Amino acid sequence: MTIAETRGLTKIYGAGETRVVALDHVDLAIEPGEFVAVMGPSGCGKSTLLNLMGGLDTPTEGSVVLDGRDIAAMSDDELTSVRRKRIGFVFQFFNLIPVLTAAENASLPLVLDGVPPKEALGRAEEMLAKVGLTHRSGSRPDQLSGGQQQRVAVARALITDPALVLADEPTGNLDSRSSEEIAGLLRQVSGEWGRAILMVTHDPRIAAHADRIVFMRDGRIVDDTRIANSDSARDAMERAGLL
Amino acid sequence: MSIQLRLAARYLAGRKLRTTLTTLAIVLGVMVIFGLNGILPGMIQSIQQVMLASVGQVDLSITSASSGTFEPSVAQAVARVEGVRAVSPALRRTIALPRDSGLDASALVVVGIDPVTAPHVRPYPLAAGRMLRPSDESGMRTAAMMSRELADKLGLRLGERFKLPSASGTTVLELVGMLDTPALPGSEEVIVSLPMAQRMFDVGDRISEIDAGFVSGADREAVQRAVRRAIGPDYIVGAVQTESPLSAGFEAASFIMNTIGVFALAMGGFIILNTFRTIVSERRHDIGMLRAVGASRRTILGMFLLESLMQGLLGTGLGLLAGYGLAIVANNALGRMVEQIINLPPTDVRFTPSTWVTAIILGVGVTVLAALVPARAAARITPLEALRPAIGDVYEAAATKRGWAGLALVAVAVAGLLSGNTGLAGLSVVLLLAGLALGSSVAVRPLSDFFSRAIELVYRSEGGVARANLQRNPGRAAATASAVMISIALIVALVGTITSTIEGFGVYAEKSTGTDYLILPQNLLLGGGTVGAGPELRARVQDTPGIGDVATLRFANTVLNGTAVQVVGIDPKEYGRIAGFEYSKGSSEADLTRLERDGTVLANGVFTAQYGSGRGDTLRLPTPSGEKRFRVVGVGNDYINAKIPTLYVSQAALERWWGVTTDVLILADARPGSDKAAALRELTKTVAEFPSFALYDTASWRKVQADLYAQMESIYYVLALILAIPSLLALLNTLTIGVLARTREIGMLRAVGGTRKQIKRIVLSESLLLAALGLSAGLIAGVWLGYVMILAVEGLGLAMPYRFPGVGIALAVAVGLSFAALAALIPARQAAKLDVIRALRYE
Ligand SMILES: Nc1ncnc2c1ncn2[C@@H]1O[C@H](COP(=O)(O)OP(=O)(O)O)[C@@H](O)[C@H]1O
Ligand SMILES: [Mg+2]
Repeated sequence: MTIAETRGLTKIYGAGETRVVALDHVDLAIEPGEFVAVMGPSGCGKSTLLNLMGGLDTPTEGSVVLDGRDIAAMSDDELTSVRRKRIGFVFQFFNLIPVLTAAENASLPLVLDGVPPKEALGRAEEMLAKVGLTHRSGSRPDQLSGGQQQRVAVARALITDPALVLADEPTGNLDSRSSEEIAGLLRQVSGEWGRAILMVTHDPRIAAHADRIVFMRDGRIVDDTRIANSDSARDAMERAGLL
Repeated sequence: MSIQLRLAARYLAGRKLRTTLTTLAIVLGVMVIFGLNGILPGMIQSIQQVMLASVGQVDLSITSASSGTFEPSVAQAVARVEGVRAVSPALRRTIALPRDSGLDASALVVVGIDPVTAPHVRPYPLAAGRMLRPSDESGMRTAAMMSRELADKLGLRLGERFKLPSASGTTVLELVGMLDTPALPGSEEVIVSLPMAQRMFDVGDRISEIDAGFVSGADREAVQRAVRRAIGPDYIVGAVQTESPLSAGFEAASFIMNTIGVFALAMGGFIILNTFRTIVSERRHDIGMLRAVGASRRTILGMFLLESLMQGLLGTGLGLLAGYGLAIVANNALGRMVEQIINLPPTDVRFTPSTWVTAIILGVGVTVLAALVPARAAARITPLEALRPAIGDVYEAAATKRGWAGLALVAVAVAGLLSGNTGLAGLSVVLLLAGLALGSSVAVRPLSDFFSRAIELVYRSEGGVARANLQRNPGRAAATASAVMISIALIVALVGTITSTIEGFGVYAEKSTGTDYLILPQNLLLGGGTVGAGPELRARVQDTPGIGDVATLRFANTVLNGTAVQVVGIDPKEYGRIAGFEYSKGSSEADLTRLERDGTVLANGVFTAQYGSGRGDTLRLPTPSGEKRFRVVGVGNDYINAKIPTLYVSQAALERWWGVTTDVLILADARPGSDKAAALRELTKTVAEFPSFALYDTASWRKVQADLYAQMESIYYVLALILAIPSLLALLNTLTIGVLARTREIGMLRAVGGTRKQIKRIVLSESLLLAALGLSAGLIAGVWLGYVMILAVEGLGLAMPYRFPGVGIALAVAVGLSFAALAALIPARQAAKLDVIRALRYE
């Protein structure tokens, strides 16, 4: 059983001289609870893949099937609703609304979905506790460290029980200790709480926390390896020419 | 919903300085609309109250349609109508009290009643003393009653005597009774016997009012109809007439105030537009984030609209408060002036429901409307666009389209003015302002190229950077310049109009008061309220040594198309010798002699404008002696009556048809070569015996008028200054936004060696450039607006000389440039103080 799947997914930007094939017939299937890392050189189409799978953008060709429904054919309102209910996002930058507290940020998808604010806040506090931010729920983003901010983003991504969590370089802006903590948290999210995660990263040590590593080059998947431990991860990376 | 509200509130609170600046712009607009409109209804109502008070508790009140006096025999006709139980005749006159009367009031209403029949139609609840008696009519007793409240106010006790002006000079009355009735401000009544009143006002046995009481249980409507049938159309049955030229004037004033308020709000609108554009571009990442986690386009739109709604409510609320303050201050200033001219009692500030509604809807509406365009742009942003670090200018394309639409509007406006139609011309001003505001985004580049050349002469490199900054965001520059433009246009137009108006009246005054002495009542305009003088005053003036020609003016009222028209009686020969008219096109001195024939009138300009009847037309006028046809033989203005629709007839006609024989205004010339000082001394002594009259020698009369206009002028200047403030806010707001948005760039400039002084100069140059853009458009619009306002005044019948508003332009340029420097002060200092390292890290 797959929870999310792409078939012949293609994205072409521009036309003529400026035409860029960002994604070139990508087929990828993700199982429930699976933690997948995406690696590859800058500009190879990793972010494009995540954006298409998350319904932030529409493909030029091919389909994205989430929970058995093709989201490529959906209207803006339908997509918005899918993003709200079935997908969680963690970005590198601009993750949080600066004027809202940590708990309010984490509760956003629920509140947007019509859950009464009190109840939503309560669930956000619980989720913040799970990601290890028990005492900072009333703080605003500028009062939190980078690692703490990303924890809030993870809490927000998980709060609606999404089918798929998409994380685009979630540790790209963090020091190595915070990066390890966030990677460990995502490991826990997939392993203990059974969420599927698709994470882009440049950092082999972070990728080593995943169950499976997908390597991309020039808009195509060039390698797809299931890893048992950090050694097999290292092998795969060497094969892909990343180390 | 609640998340939008929470976000809107947090964002608003998070940008305090900008929230304050933007809110202030709305506050100003609402303040002007609400405040100025708060003054007028009070004045209008006070006029109406004075007139309505006479209806009181009586079942039916009958007055002449021409507001004059009529034969007492009409009362019998009313008494015969079925359902009428009792009738009582009355004579009612408002009198102005001389300043030295010793009574603490500026005007009183004298009511003559029939002591026998009056109590049958109206209650007279005695508080002290006694009711008037028929024996009071013998002429030996001069008894009077009044409300206890009024007696207290005047400081009178039972049995005390007091003086009132009358046709024969003064009349001494004795207070015999005090009533338990409320004294309406402005219509405090002194009640005397009817014959006493008739003698006081020299009206023979004529009356001005019949009060009637109904049999109990009568069908009031039916009785009223029957009475109307019995006495014919020359009478008003029911309420007294409340429409007056004066309240029409106040309504026109209210229209002008509203227009100015709308302009002020339009400036606020531009400021809000700028603020929200900036907010949207600053919050792109937040918007993208919200969209990514599931906020719909509607949620984003709603969030910004809610933010503008909250800001609109805040600004409107504060604006209402400020407007209340403005109304009180302006009411005091205006009240003193109005009291001088028309002797109205002091009025309260009053806000009608429609004033509330207009102010609130406009205040909130303009804010939300101005935010709508940026809010919709925000809702259209896709999540991906918003999450990308680079920010493009999303307004560029729209600005060109709007620019062309604006230029098209300007073309339509030009056609509108050239049509020569006043109504169209007024509309074309609005179109021109709108067109310039829209088209200005297209004009930003060429105009700023042009003006920056001047600035670059002084600040070589800084001027160039400032120009580039402006051209980078033409929409923002255009909105700011538009706000400045409206300010400037209003200043030029207001100052220009007041200069022309004052000069115009100067010309009238020169011609119309070419006499050496004027003797006139202290309240001049409230026609019905003036007590005339019998023949004695005129005769004594004529007999004064050193006095040559004398002429008098007499006043009555008639009604045309339901509104009151003043009828002035003159002796054409006499009046032509001593004073004369400023004749309108097609009329001349010769028309004045035609007035000697019965059935002819001379109309003034305001009358012709209001009723569309000119030379050669025939008017059917109700008079106390029945309807009568009059032919208009000419059109001309005199200074005193220039503002009121007026018909001039011969004094013989006025006596015959209106029964008026008393003089209200006496003009006199000194005999050439006589001792003017001695003549003035003699006249002063004579006039002192007629306390409701005042004597002016022409020089001091002109000075009084000039003082009045100086006061009016200063009010206009204050208003112009208030209207200039939004342009200061617009500049300040835009410069602040610009400095914030370019923090990184400024840091970069400093890093590569730019001095603090240079940074300051860039901001100042930007401010000057923006002001120059607004000034150039505003001066054009202002000259135009002023011209159309003169056209409009002319349309009302007052030919005004058009004067090019040189003073207004000089003032506007001075205000514009000094505001530019002032507005740059704080943002320039902020920009110069930026910490380089932190600025470079800013995102
Ligand atoms: N909006 C866009 N317009 C044009 N080209 C784009 C756009 N977004 C991405 N690209 C191009 O698509 C390719 C893949 O980009 P991206 O998915 O962001 O790569 P990665 O995340 O792997 O660094 C790149 O060559 C990039 O320049
Ligand atoms: Mg990327």
